[in-house]
Amino acid sequence: MKHFTKLAAAAVLGATLGTAAVAQELYAPNLAYRTGPFAATGIPLMNGQADYFAMLNARDGGVGGIKVNAEECETGYSTEKGVECYEKTKGRSIVTQPWSTGITLQVLPKTNVDEIPILAPGYGFSPMADGKVFQWAFNTPSGYWDAASMILQYLQDENGSLDGKKIAFLHLDHPYGKEPLPLLEKKAGELNFELLPIPVGLKEMQNQSAQWLQIRRERPDYVVMWGWGAMNAGAITEAVKTKYPMENFIGVWWAGHDADLKIVGADGAGYKSISWSFPNPEAPVMADIQKYVVDAGLSQSNPEEMAGVFYGRGVVISAILAEGIAAAQNEFGVAEIDASQLRWGLENINMTEERIEELGLTGMVPPFATSCANHTGHSGGWMLEWDGEQFVKVSDHMLPDTSDYQQLIADKAAEYAEANAPWPTNEDCNVGG
Amino acid sequence: MLYDYFIAPFVDMFAAPDFLMQVLWEGLVSGILYALIALGFVLIFRSSRIFNFAQGIMVVFAALTLVGLHALGVPAWISVGLTLVVMFGLAVTIERVVLRPLVGQPDIILFMATIGITLFLIGAGETIFGGENKVMITEELGIPTGDYVLEPFGGLLILQHLDITVVIVATLLVLALLAFLNYTQMGRAIRALGDDHQAALSVGISLQTIWVLVWFIAGIIALVTGIAWGARAGVSFALEVIAYKALPVLMLGGLESITGAIVGGLMIGMLEKLFEIYWGQPFLGGNTETWFAFVLALIVLLFRPQGLFGERIIERV
Repeated sequence: MKHFTKLAAAAVLGATLGTAAVAQELYAPNLAYRTGPFAATGIPLMNGQADYFAMLNARDGGVGGIKVNAEECETGYSTEKGVECYEKTKGRSIVTQPWSTGITLQVLPKTNVDEIPILAPGYGFSPMADGKVFQWAFNTPSGYWDAASMILQYLQDENGSLDGKKIAFLHLDHPYGKEPLPLLEKKAGELNFELLPIPVGLKEMQNQSAQWLQIRRERPDYVVMWGWGAMNAGAITEAVKTKYPMENFIGVWWAGHDADLKIVGADGAGYKSISWSFPNPEAPVMADIQKYVVDAGLSQSNPEEMAGVFYGRGVVISAILAEGIAAAQNEFGVAEIDASQLRWGLENINMTEERIEELGLTGMVPPFATSCANHTGHSGGWMLEWDGEQFVKVSDHMLPDTSDYQQLIADKAAEYAEANAPWPTNEDCNVGG
Repeated sequence: MLYDYFIAPFVDMFAAPDFLMQVLWEGLVSGILYALIALGFVLIFRSSRIFNFAQGIMVVFAALTLVGLHALGVPAWISVGLTLVVMFGLAVTIERVVLRPLVGQPDIILFMATIGITLFLIGAGETIFGGENKVMITEELGIPTGDYVLEPFGGLLILQHLDITVVIVATLLVLALLAFLNYTQMGRAIRALGDDHQAALSVGISLQTIWVLVWFIAGIIALVTGIAWGARAGVSFALEVIAYKALPVLMLGGLESITGAIVGGLMIGMLEKLFEIYWGQPFLGGNTETWFAFVLALIVLLFRPQGLFGERIIERV
């Protein structure tokens, strides 16, 4: 009995200390994909994300004095594994980062019940921009419809008009690849261009000769690509092989990875990618990452990768999350915020030019602000071009014409809510607020 | 309607014969690579009744080893030699550690063991080489990278030097394999094991030696396939899925037939391309390559359950 009492006391003490130890951090898990067919895209992004939080933890003791545990749960970009990871981590997480449109769509209804914000920077379901309907979901700082809008705007500026043009839409045959279709179809009618959707199956990513034969036969004026992982390298090499003019080939931001273009090198010169982030090795934040993370042997990255677009984007993504955490901490006066407080923080990010400078992210992300109703921020971005060795900016800061699809966002959000009824909405949220 | 589906595609073919030639060429290149992968499966199945689920990851592992060794400063062709040594070591290890203890176990156990090998190689590959996309050392190996631009019938036909090389090398490899299987003692031993396991063992054919040999041959095939596909779109773990294209080839040609693997691979490569271009894209929204080969194989299985070239199984009850 005496033994039992001692054991029980030890267990209680251990549990208390354990709880205290666990409580001294903010748990912000990342549903990473460093393995599988999409790993080539995932690794630099995950490294950038991890290194930023490692730097904050080492330099500032975390955010607001509390360390951030950005533990990864490996999904291999598989929707099933992603849902498992969500279930495994949701108990103590303040945010979930699903990293695939497929996983995002699966966990979207769950987060409403579990009340955990989804942070899906630059991906996910485009109508998530409507914060009134999707109160727990954020696709900050730009969504896929923003990307489609900017690409069409760029092509219009280049041609004067898209009237009579033919645009092939080469996309992964996956929820992600189909995301911009509603807007592209709408704009094809309005601007009188012919839209030619060309799907690429997951098993055909590296052998796209049929898709590029179709492109050769149809002779589109432009090819717009929504590719991910190995699909991008496959498409770019086929484009070179079939002698498609690279200057007429534009990808979304996930199709603008340096490693994919290095396979073709100078032959890929002229290829473009719209992007809401840009790598800046000279930015102060990169010097801090070098000092506190790389030099300390805590980084999994390498200098070549760190100079690339995707690593820089990973850094920006973690910076956005850290800004959301900081905003919540300031509002609620506590360092150890919970998931609902983080939601408030993510709804009140204000990345002004000054704040971007202050964070050391000079030139790496355009300014944007979120609100209760606007969960995207619509930061806009830059058109990047591969010059044969690296991506360079070939446009000024572009902004999407959101007026074009505000109604589409509202309609599709309402459609989703109705299909998933009863779907709780945030009635306190005023549109525009 | 009937004209659109059954006549118009052929009219299109004859209207643009240069384009048809391009489609057939692309189909041939894919087909010969499918045939090569299918051969890896067939050799192992014939000699051991094991359906080697690990063939796909062996392609990735071989390509990664080659690129990884070269990145360490090893000259390109020495890297090829060393990769072959690694694949041989892998074959010996698989035979000793995985297969030998499972001799006599049901086929499904051996199949499960190859899934285990797959998972191990994925983990080992990612730990050693990382998951990033890597550039195949095409130029360093002396593989030409330009193209011939021809103008048949006043049209356009682009033949990549790389693809021509792939077709030649794969054809030579297939012929070498056929010669090996038909005219060497070891090759005959492999065939004997495939024909009758017990009889082959009773005349002194060593199961262990043959297993190491066939897994090593599968490793060589994996390396050639890895170089060919890696040169097209980089070396990454996505290459693994290419091997799954060999499954309908096996269903079509028969799991035990070398001729079936070759003919099945070429048939599927060309027919899926023709169907996608002339029927899939105009009428079905494209991306039919993901299912066409399986449907074709299923139709064949309805009439010939053993595949086009497989041996008819007669079981007495």
